[in-house]
Amino acid sequence: MDLDTLTGCLASSACLVTQTTSGFIIGMLLFLVAVGLTLIFGVLKVVNFSHGAFYMFGAYFAMTAYQLSGSFALAMLCGAAGTALLGLVFERVFMSRVYGADVLMQLLVCYAFVLIFDDVVRMIWGPEFKSMGMPSAFQVAPLFIAGGVVPPYYLLLIGVALSAAVILGLGLARTKVGKVIRAAAHNPGMVSALGINTGLIYGGVFALGGMLAGLAGALAAPVRSLTPGMGFSVLIESFIVTVIGGMGSILGALIGAILIGMIRSFGSLGFPLFTEGLMYLFMVIVLVSRPTGLFGKEVA
Amino acid sequence: MTELQAERAAMVPRSQARPQRWRYLDVSIALAAFLVLAMLPMFIGSKALLDFVIRCSAFGLFATSLNLLVGFTGMVSFGHGMFFGLGAYSFGLIMQRTGVPVPVAFVATLVITTIVAAVIGAICVRLKEIYFAFVTLAFQMLIHSTILSWVSLTGGDQGLRGGIPRPAFFGIDLTNHVHLYITSCALLVTGLLLMRQIAQSPFGYTLRMIRDNANRASFVGIDVWRAKLTIFVLAALFASTGGVIMALFVSGAYPEFAYWTISGEGIFINMLGGVTTFLGPMVGTVLLLILNDTVTRMTEYYGIVLGIVILFFAIGLRKGLMDFAVEWYAQRRSGPAERG
Amino acid sequence: MLEIRGLSKAFGGVKATDNVTLDFAEGSLTAVIGPNGAGKSTFFNLITGALAPDSGQILLNGVDLAGKSPPEIVRHGIGRAFQVASIFPSLTVHETLLAAVCADQRRASVLHRRFPLAETRDRAEHTMELLGLSGKRDRTAATLSHGDQKLLDIALALVLDPKVLLLDEPTAGMGTEERWRMIDKVKELWETQKITVVFIEHDMDIVFKIAPEIVVLCYGRILATGKPDAIRRNEAVIEAYLGTEHHAGAAI
Repeated sequence: MDLDTLTGCLASSACLVTQTTSGFIIGMLLFLVAVGLTLIFGVLKVVNFSHGAFYMFGAYFAMTAYQLSGSFALAMLCGAAGTALLGLVFERVFMSRVYGADVLMQLLVCYAFVLIFDDVVRMIWGPEFKSMGMPSAFQVAPLFIAGGVVPPYYLLLIGVALSAAVILGLGLARTKVGKVIRAAAHNPGMVSALGINTGLIYGGVFALGGMLAGLAGALAAPVRSLTPGMGFSVLIESFIVTVIGGMGSILGALIGAILIGMIRSFGSLGFPLFTEGLMYLFMVIVLVSRPTGLFGKEVA
Repeated sequence: MTELQAERAAMVPRSQARPQRWRYLDVSIALAAFLVLAMLPMFIGSKALLDFVIRCSAFGLFATSLNLLVGFTGMVSFGHGMFFGLGAYSFGLIMQRTGVPVPVAFVATLVITTIVAAVIGAICVRLKEIYFAFVTLAFQMLIHSTILSWVSLTGGDQGLRGGIPRPAFFGIDLTNHVHLYITSCALLVTGLLLMRQIAQSPFGYTLRMIRDNANRASFVGIDVWRAKLTIFVLAALFASTGGVIMALFVSGAYPEFAYWTISGEGIFINMLGGVTTFLGPMVGTVLLLILNDTVTRMTEYYGIVLGIVILFFAIGLRKGLMDFAVEWYAQRRSGPAERG
Repeated sequence: MLEIRGLSKAFGGVKATDNVTLDFAEGSLTAVIGPNGAGKSTFFNLITGALAPDSGQILLNGVDLAGKSPPEIVRHGIGRAFQVASIFPSLTVHETLLAAVCADQRRASVLHRRFPLAETRDRAEHTMELLGLSGKRDRTAATLSHGDQKLLDIALALVLDPKVLLLDEPTAGMGTEERWRMIDKVKELWETQKITVVFIEHDMDIVFKIAPEIVVLCYGRILATGKPDAIRRNEAVIEAYLGTEHHAGAAI
């Protein structure tokens, strides 16, 4: 434990800015993964245990696209679009077969794909750590805000993630497709009775979730190292985020992700050995006091 | 009622007229099995085979204890492997640091497991299906990351190295391979017998009621939360014993013992062998270890092969091998007409 | 015997049970009726502990059970059967009842003995005979017919030796003939077992023919209580209930 460092940081505006920014980075990436997880759960009542793989593929797709084309924008696009397609195929071909089956079966199918996807990445890109490198457009002097160091790329990352959150929130609330998705989450039988293709919606939701996680992976690629299995720890953290925020709630995922980001960022100063533990501790406190999460609906 | 429940329901014909007699039968089968296993080294000198049986003992205890949760109580834990790792590390650390006799360290390991399982269980067992699965998984990751980061105690990602001292006790010398082998078999057979007793006790039927319909069970006067917590702790004890065997076998403990894939494999072993029979997980363990050994010899991409096998069972067959055996047997007994 | 004092429960702003005060005499047979959404099931859920009341008392022989958990309330002697037969699909009829007796004898967590315990056998046997399920003892509950599942549900409540038996629509989902058979069974159990029975029923013919006492619930309140004749002539009941539902029922 190193409480002096933590209190020292809280007293200094420079450190505060640096840690808050890094907390936001962690939180925003987690949000993009968690929101897909929570959306898929909300509509399909399935926890996509292989969701971390989308994050991983997003990062690898982006890296390869960047290496081939040198375009950062194209890299992001490839990361997001590639995983969207992957999500669609995964749902239509495999997950759609285990809806309504035992939780055991759903977990097993996802477990199988975690194993398969990790090995596929190992086959294509190799088992060693990879790095995409910071695009040249962002290799500029960092900003100094109140004495704290903020790389410009971080601002872009936060901006993109926040825009995604806003677009998603508005899209679900305002558009026709959004209403159908919310209706499907509420009452799938009704939606299919109205002549709407539920298969299309389910596939679409998986593609959307995959796309968001892929985008998170692509955004993370310049600042994190890439390795097979990188998706799993992100999955666990995103799951913790959704548990804290409440399964099925987008706002909950956002708040939960930022909370976890801050806990990780500041916790690493005060409790370097127990940073992960803090996260779990926080989850346990939320679960015990509010079993459905901060923004979860009471399950009848 | 889910599909799986319906299938289970259609399959279980056993009615037991004289319960005590069944217990003697179980004990006799266990004794016979133990004698056969114990005499094996006299006829077959292959060290590899004995190693295989020791690993089967470790994973068999773990998988069968998981079936107490999954198959008998309907609690799909995805973090059961944490107790396997906990057992291995606790035992290894106690032996390395204190030098107490092996049985004392074993009992101390069980005590530690009880405490940890009771705390984690108290938080988890109230949660609904999928939440339960994932929160147990989260706790597994917590234990795993604690092992990785608490380097001064656990050796971090290097694991507990330098070997676990195994002083002889009651004339049993665990550094002797055959002694280790027979001890593992004894632990396996005793563990299975105890779990069989749990499954066939009145408490075992309480668990079945909870699995089938927890709400109704509470209206029969059963304290569902307490029963679930009890079986969670009991199952953890057997998983921990599996971990102890593993620690003795490799004379160490590694973070992989506490990694989530152990839980995943446990779940798959149950699926592979079948959750409707008591020995299903044992059959699954043997099959998975054979598969594991064969595949790792042939390719480095073990995950892909295992993944495809899992998909074949989960999406293709939808039940375990022992389930098929039971069904076939029931069909033969009742004749095909009745089941049509 | 069973006295309900000022029992209330609200969901959001809706009062599902609103200040209900009722007495069920020892050995009485009472039908609870009321239009859909009258709060009948909520009323049962409150008494059996499935829901915690906002206020009020549930006195069984003077002991207040309000707010206690379902297992506690069952052990005090209030048994319950459900509208949709609530059973254990993979257990046989015999095993179901044996396991229930185990729970009643506080032996549900016994680890060192084998199931079934000898001392549970007579009670299970007796209950199977009462409900006419002896012939199906080794059938798993999932394979029973709908009617037999309902009987097993009742048997499951009865085998615990309750002082009060609450039956939530024992005839739900049955054809006319089967309904009468079921309700005759209920009456027979009431007569032979000398227990207090409260049942919810939709079929007015059955209610007026069978039940010596009737309670009418409407929007969570008690509209009327009394003998069938009095209920039939009660203006408020005719207005609120018979006026709508009986005609609808008659039309079908």
